[in-house]
Amino acid sequence: MTPSLSEIETLGKRAARGAGLSWGLAEEAGRAARWLSAHGLPGVESLAALLERNDGVSYGALAPVCLETGWRPAGAVICPLVAGAALADRAAAVAGGAVAGIGPVACPVLLAPAAAGVAAATGATLDLAWDNLRLTVGPDAVWLEAGKAARLARPEAAEVRIRIVAEGHGTPCPAGQRPEVTGAEWARLARLAHRTYAPATDASRLAGAGAGLSDND
Amino acid sequence: MQADAQATGKAAKRPPETVMRLARMGAFHQSRLSFMRILLRRMQREGWRFERRAFDIDARGVGHAVYAAHGPRHSYSLVAFAHDLPAEKRSDRVIADAWDATFALFDGLPEQADIDRLAANVPLQEAGRISGRELSLSRANRSVRLFEHVVGRLAEGRQPDPETVGHVGYLMRTTAVYGSGKFGAADRDMIADRPEFAAPFQAEMLSVYLTRWFVIELAEHLARARAPGTAVAMAPAMRRRFGIGNSTGLGMAPFLITHPVLINNWIAAREEALARVRSLTRATPEAQQRFRALLARAVQNAAEWQSEHPLQIGKLAALRADLDRLRARVDNGGLDGTRPWDALYRWAEDTLSLEGQEQLVSLVLEPYGDLVDKLSDCMGADEAAAFCIDGAMTVAELRATLQDVYGWALEIDWQAPPAQARCWYVSEEKLEPRLGERFDEPVTAYEQPLSPGRDAARLYADLAGYDPDAPLAELLLALPVHRHMVRRAQIATRFPYAEIRDNTIGADVLPIDMLRAKLSFFGATHFDPRSDRWVRINMYRGAPYPDELAGAAYDDWAYPVLPETAS
Repeated sequence: MTPSLSEIETLGKRAARGAGLSWGLAEEAGRAARWLSAHGLPGVESLAALLERNDGVSYGALAPVCLETGWRPAGAVICPLVAGAALADRAAAVAGGAVAGIGPVACPVLLAPAAAGVAAATGATLDLAWDNLRLTVGPDAVWLEAGKAARLARPEAAEVRIRIVAEGHGTPCPAGQRPEVTGAEWARLARLAHRTYAPATDASRLAGAGAGLSDND
Repeated sequence: MQADAQATGKAAKRPPETVMRLARMGAFHQSRLSFMRILLRRMQREGWRFERRAFDIDARGVGHAVYAAHGPRHSYSLVAFAHDLPAEKRSDRVIADAWDATFALFDGLPEQADIDRLAANVPLQEAGRISGRELSLSRANRSVRLFEHVVGRLAEGRQPDPETVGHVGYLMRTTAVYGSGKFGAADRDMIADRPEFAAPFQAEMLSVYLTRWFVIELAEHLARARAPGTAVAMAPAMRRRFGIGNSTGLGMAPFLITHPVLINNWIAAREEALARVRSLTRATPEAQQRFRALLARAVQNAAEWQSEHPLQIGKLAALRADLDRLRARVDNGGLDGTRPWDALYRWAEDTLSLEGQEQLVSLVLEPYGDLVDKLSDCMGADEAAAFCIDGAMTVAELRATLQDVYGWALEIDWQAPPAQARCWYVSEEKLEPRLGERFDEPVTAYEQPLSPGRDAARLYADLAGYDPDAPLAELLLALPVHRHMVRRAQIATRFPYAEIRDNTIGADVLPIDMLRAKLSFFGATHFDPRSDRWVRINMYRGAPYPDELAGAAYDDWAYPVLPETAS
């Protein structure tokens, strides 16, 4: 199927909420899946993998501890949505090179949308590197080394190193794309999103939406 | 001297604490800045052409039709499917699964393969899929009584009865018009750079405008099929009396809360327009004459506006009395002084009901298209740009913001059950948004973040324990539950009309107030609530049809013509 970007954002947000994130972080998750998808990067697949992996894990275990040497996990592995939100909230410091590395981190490509937020807010260009892979995010463009796209969906990186650079490295990823998503990937997000929907009851069907009159008039 | 200097300065915009109250928003009226009027002005100015490209519908009313609109650079086509719907399936609810007619707005001119693809999906609505070639998906149900009356009369060679027509006002009512990427449609980003889509909801408004044309032609077609020897077409003046209806439930209400920047831009444009008119030092005879003419037509509109809902009956009685007082005021020199519009508005604020005040706001904009209409360029929004949180803002700064924007909410006792009596949730049944009773139904676990007042109060309480100089980045890492509300609060500091200044989950909340605010910006008229959370309206009533737009008076259709001048 080829969902629209707004469908990806909406389902991503609901799935993240269904997996236990706060509404504010769920909004970031939806935006992240949309941003990656629009650039031809694996947004739906990565978000589904992350949310399933962290389903039921407490927030405290997902958050980074911000140390001078880099951001390290409070639990076992850092959640890129939590770390990404924290990066975006510290945009000026991050653009000044304050965060050298984050890891170990799950689904590292999900840090890229937050890096784009930092770039948009500050004008800086951020180079994210992990596993012999480089993804560069500037205020208006994204670059990826040719032939490396398949590696982006890796489930975990020991560390994502962050450098502020003058220009992008690799091939630009054009924005405004509409991705092809498999039914199975979509269903993974839909399963989590379904937890946010209230079961229908006769009472809510009648009263909840406020209708119930005949429409044959 | 100082008083004179003040008198020649620009009038201030009304403050958000005045405008953004639900009772007032629930009294908004259409204006020059309504999206239907913006669209028709553009199409008339640019000389859009319209054509019926296909009409393949049988005597039972089953088949498809294609109506195209050709602009300067792009063409758009309404692809309509007409169905034979049994009465027991006719429901305006989201949970319906069949309709009298279903539609998609196609980007361009469809080939047969496109029609075939749409025929397999559009009649299913939410259960089907459309593509990036489509800009909207919608459906409509007949007004059973009026549809049969009109087809029967035309088949007999007679025109419909004006009183019967006036009582309903439309042959079909749409029950949802989906755009912006819903069910696979094109994302707004993909078309936002086209001038015709710069203002909000223009694709949806175009779809509805073409739907109205299709529905009239469908009725005429069925009359001819019933009685080929005697059937007549509808007379032009009679045709204009038909708008297209709309039946809107709760699903629309959350939009006002989930799109704060967009809502700010709509309200800010209208408030800026009002401030510009109130700043004028005098009203020319021409402007006065135009205002009086439209005031008379507003009186006619209020007379024609019917509702069976007790709340709206009361509001309509007040509106009619308000308009009488307004007429008397204007007839007795109410526009003769300096800053006449400002004086009139101030008088209204002290004298009229909210219905009357807001009707006046819309009316005073009418003589001043040159001051007002360009503000439509400011009504779209780049919502993504407002998404980022400024984590460098300090706790003390946030606290000041909360006091400023949400002061009203900090005074509410949120422990008292009536303050939180309601809970917004999404049902698993076709994802229909609903409003539940928090203390009676098991819905709290599914609550949507649609209660900014309560959430601001919770955030404010949690700030008490924090170092005032700490950056919000620290607070948000420790307390992610507040991330949604911090984002809203920061938007509200930059966009003054972004936030409703009322409790949206209280025992006395009326969701129809939210529906009316949004629908008034669409250009809807004849608000007729069916309950506290459901409303029927009319769209494009009185508007020229596509085949007469070029020769019609410019933007002069939104108030009814007076009986003595009707042709």
